[in-house]
Amino acid sequence: MSQIRLACAAMATRFELVLEGDDPSRLRAAGEEALAGVRRLEAKLSFFRPTSEIGRINAFAAERPVRVDGEVFDLLLRAERYHRETAGAFDVTVGSLMRYWRSASAAGTVPDAALIEEARLRVGMELVELDVAGRSVRFARPGVLIDLGAIGKGYAVEQAMLLLRELGVGCALLHGGTSTVQALGRPVQGGVWRVALEYPGVGANGGEEHLLSIVELRDVALSVSKVTGRVFTAGGVTYGHVVDPRLGWPVQGALLAAVVSPSATEADALSTALLTLGPAGHAAVTARRPAAPMLVLGGEAPHGPYRLVTRGLPVRRSALLEAVEELPPGA
Amino acid sequence: MAKHSSGEAGDSGRSLARRDFLKRGSLAGILGMVGGQQVMGLELRPPSRPTYSRLDGSERIACGVIGFGEWGREISATLGRIETARIAAICDTFPVMLQRASRSVPDAATQAEYRRVLDDPEIQVVFVATPTHLHRGIVIAALEAGKHVYCEMPLAHTIEDAQAIARAAKSANRQIFQVGLSYRSNPQHREVFQFIRSGALGRATAARAQWHGKQSWRRASATSERERELNWRLDSNISLGLIGEIGVHQLDTADWIYQGLPRAVTGAGQLIYWKDGRRVPDTIQAIFEYPSDVRLTYNATLTNSFDGEYDMFYGTDGTIMMRDSKAWLFKEVDAPVLGWEVYARKDRFYRESGIALVADATQLEAQGIDPTVDDPNVETPLFYALEEFLDNALRGPFPPSAGYKAGYDATVVAIRANEAVTGNRRLTFDQSVFDAVT
Repeated sequence: MSQIRLACAAMATRFELVLEGDDPSRLRAAGEEALAGVRRLEAKLSFFRPTSEIGRINAFAAERPVRVDGEVFDLLLRAERYHRETAGAFDVTVGSLMRYWRSASAAGTVPDAALIEEARLRVGMELVELDVAGRSVRFARPGVLIDLGAIGKGYAVEQAMLLLRELGVGCALLHGGTSTVQALGRPVQGGVWRVALEYPGVGANGGEEHLLSIVELRDVALSVSKVTGRVFTAGGVTYGHVVDPRLGWPVQGALLAAVVSPSATEADALSTALLTLGPAGHAAVTARRPAAPMLVLGGEAPHGPYRLVTRGLPVRRSALLEAVEELPPGA
Repeated sequence: MAKHSSGEAGDSGRSLARRDFLKRGSLAGILGMVGGQQVMGLELRPPSRPTYSRLDGSERIACGVIGFGEWGREISATLGRIETARIAAICDTFPVMLQRASRSVPDAATQAEYRRVLDDPEIQVVFVATPTHLHRGIVIAALEAGKHVYCEMPLAHTIEDAQAIARAAKSANRQIFQVGLSYRSNPQHREVFQFIRSGALGRATAARAQWHGKQSWRRASATSERERELNWRLDSNISLGLIGEIGVHQLDTADWIYQGLPRAVTGAGQLIYWKDGRRVPDTIQAIFEYPSDVRLTYNATLTNSFDGEYDMFYGTDGTIMMRDSKAWLFKEVDAPVLGWEVYARKDRFYRESGIALVADATQLEAQGIDPTVDDPNVETPLFYALEEFLDNALRGPFPPSAGYKAGYDATVVAIRANEAVTGNRRLTFDQSVFDAVT
């Protein structure tokens, strides 16, 4: 039995891939092709590259319909569907808001409320016209910006895993920046791929007592969205990097959300939506996906106390966990 | 990830003044100012720009893509963004590839046999992106079927095959034949080409190019038979190795810029790291001797990715570096002042400051885009090449930027260079081989 580990830098993070099987050169070859696919997707989907498909849409779609390749168009259709199914909690048009909040985060100050109100006029999937026949994208008004940051890594993981399966790989684990992970088959040594989630506010490898959940994955993906990691504090309030597209402000009240799905793209989109909706509003997502294991951890501060809603994911109790609501499967 | 700020260009007085200067001082203008010499004997025409005009279905060209491996998929994705193209059929001998094809282009017919694509009278143009050693049969059949043909590079793995393709293309003079030397259609390369020809580097003294990647170059497949076919690049009987399959594009850039073919090549190749039964070297070096004593040193490896791919052209007044479809000028301190460079964008490379050479600065200005930031209009070299080819098929014939002769010469250089690399020796190019195709 051989184990091959590969990594690549893409989408402002690190993708890591573990493959197991009999023939190391075949495994490596398959893994290289899968990771090359991730980099190819980055070149298409990047918000920051003017020459990406998304860069081109953002630059020109307010003036004229922009024809995009089939893959990007299909991904935008999926983004539109997730927007609908999450009551707007997932929205790829959050780009103009993200731009303000990114500079705000860099400067450590909250943006002017008037700017945010003005940017909100440019947010909303209804401002994006997707012409299926012409495979083109058009914005209903100037200033709309599509940012696939909340779905791109999941999509890249999903496509890479599809490819590995096509290439005859039976056993692999791939994650993109530890936010979306997908498992294929079972580890050759037996057992099942296990991925641990930690309570927020803990550094990497915080130890057994900080574990929130250990999720077993077989041919499914897990995506985790957190407000911590990239945060800044201004006026005594901590702001995370996930912006609620409905309000224009960083998500408050929820700290972490996780979703398991056969599709890494869907897991990525829904974990973002679930974090935005929080423990109080989770039904918009959970009711539509009664089979998807998920959890959402609420709280005002990264170090607790916490409230938790979970369905189908095992939870390690912590003294900081004030309330737990366990949804029955299929709820 | 963002190398440069991409904020909207502000309309401040300062920026207007700078833009106004750039309008007058763009490269096109500068060439006039320094008395850029006229370039003779070139198949040059103005670089085509994306127009994005709406076309009705009848104006779209029905395209066939033959070979749906990595590069065939890239061609297909790029065609998907070109208004004049409609992919009517995709051909591959491997069913999994055809499944992928129907996922990515649902409207296209999928064919396992390329003859079926050629027999379809509706299809006007075909793109041949199969393994190199399969080009000959397909290209010649496609030309006989009356199709316009875009053939990937290198043309062939033997000189005999390359000649057969080039001669067939030459005699099919009512059809467009373009080869995949896409840099020749790339506005950025054209701009640099003009800039160097204007004498901005002083006396040309040397060139250096490299391609570094860390990858096995091996491909996996679900079946072992398919895997053998897929790994043709690792089969020394049919593979031209790193110098032929990758270097051919960079070597052609040097031929193009120096306006001549090398006279001799000294090569060396080693198999250092990927010892999995292959014989094709994973690390190579080659030195090409051009007329007027200028040499190009070429390095490629599959063992290390540092600095990726670039081309450097050195002269007594400065150096030009081309990478990622961008270019920078590094001036010698005693070089003549060009005038515009104080206003141009500069990027730091360790202790050097590179002056960004921006293609079509004047056009950008007219569109209200600040030429000092990355241009959202910029497409990949492949896009420009395919767009030119389709434009030619629709409105031509014009002489293509990279026709059969350029493709043949570059293929001969690649084949001989691979002989030098695998034989660890120096060999001279026989001019009569180049002259065999005119």
